[in-house]
Amino acid sequence: ERSCSSLQHKSALPACVTGQKKMNSHESWSLSPEEFEIWDRLYRIKESDGIKEPVLPRVQFETLEKLEETPFPLQKPEEGAARELSLSEWSVWQNQPLPTSLVDHSDRCHLFIGAMEMMELMRHQQGDCSYEQELQPHLRMEDVNIAGDKRTPSMANPP
Amino acid sequence: MAAAGGEQQQMLTQRLKAAVHYTVGCLCQEVEEDKDVQFSKQSIAAISEITFRQCEIFARDLEMFARHAKRTTVTTEDVKLLARRSNSLLKYITQKSEELASSNMEQKEKKKKKSSAAKGERTPGEQEAAVTENEDSNMA
Repeated sequence: ERSCSSLQHKSALPACVTGQKKMNSHESWSLSPEEFEIWDRLYRIKESDGIKEPVLPRVQFETLEKLEETPFPLQKPEEGAARELSLSEWSVWQNQPLPTSLVDHSDRCHLFIGAMEMMELMRHQQGDCSYEQELQPHLRMEDVNIAGDKRTPSMANPP
Repeated sequence: MAAAGGEQQQMLTQRLKAAVHYTVGCLCQEVEEDKDVQFSKQSIAAISEITFRQCEIFARDLEMFARHAKRTTVTTEDVKLLARRSNSLLKYITQKSEELASSNMEQKEKKKKKSSAAKGERTPGEQEAAVTENEDSNMA
């Protein structure tokens, strides 16, 4: 049953429940009693499973007024009961494209991979920065905000 | 010739990256003073590179949003769409855009008064030219 539903996921939920008889109760948006039974038995996370409910991290802007951004109120289980899915825990794996199935990597995904690769290359640099040294000869002061000039940031030692 | 063009493209890219890097350096310094932390040169370089790449993404999206609305000119509405996924960001951008719009309006009003004061001495053709000029400077 499990393999059936994980492989043939093209229709909404357990694709194994086809056949005209069962389709009738499936016409509403919610699960039919049969589907609910399958979900409850195979997929629903229960206390006895000993695993924490997975939740996605919520967007928060450090520099902006914080508005509550929880479009999914369900994503708020009690403290400690949830496992927040991490987007940075495996960063050392992210400097190369990972395999795809049906959806290709997008341009922005490739840009992300490129940035991770660049950071990996700089990881062991101490002090002087190759990126800075490479770009410094190309800096034209008319391109940048003159107000920033007074601040003399690390890069601004005009030749 | 294609090679020369590519080389020039490369030079422009480097020049733009250098400008972004410089500006990111200034902004990071403000944060350093504000939060009492230090950024390594490498972290500033990484933020610059990410900012540069993010501009590619923004530019492509803005062009598509404008085209989606059958426009060839990108407007503030397209910029707001970039922020659609985050309520606080959208609110911030919308506020800024309203501020900009109202200060633009004020300037327009001032110029209108000025040009209507000078109206008597102008021929219709000259008036028209003056209006176009005003609109151009508002676009900038």
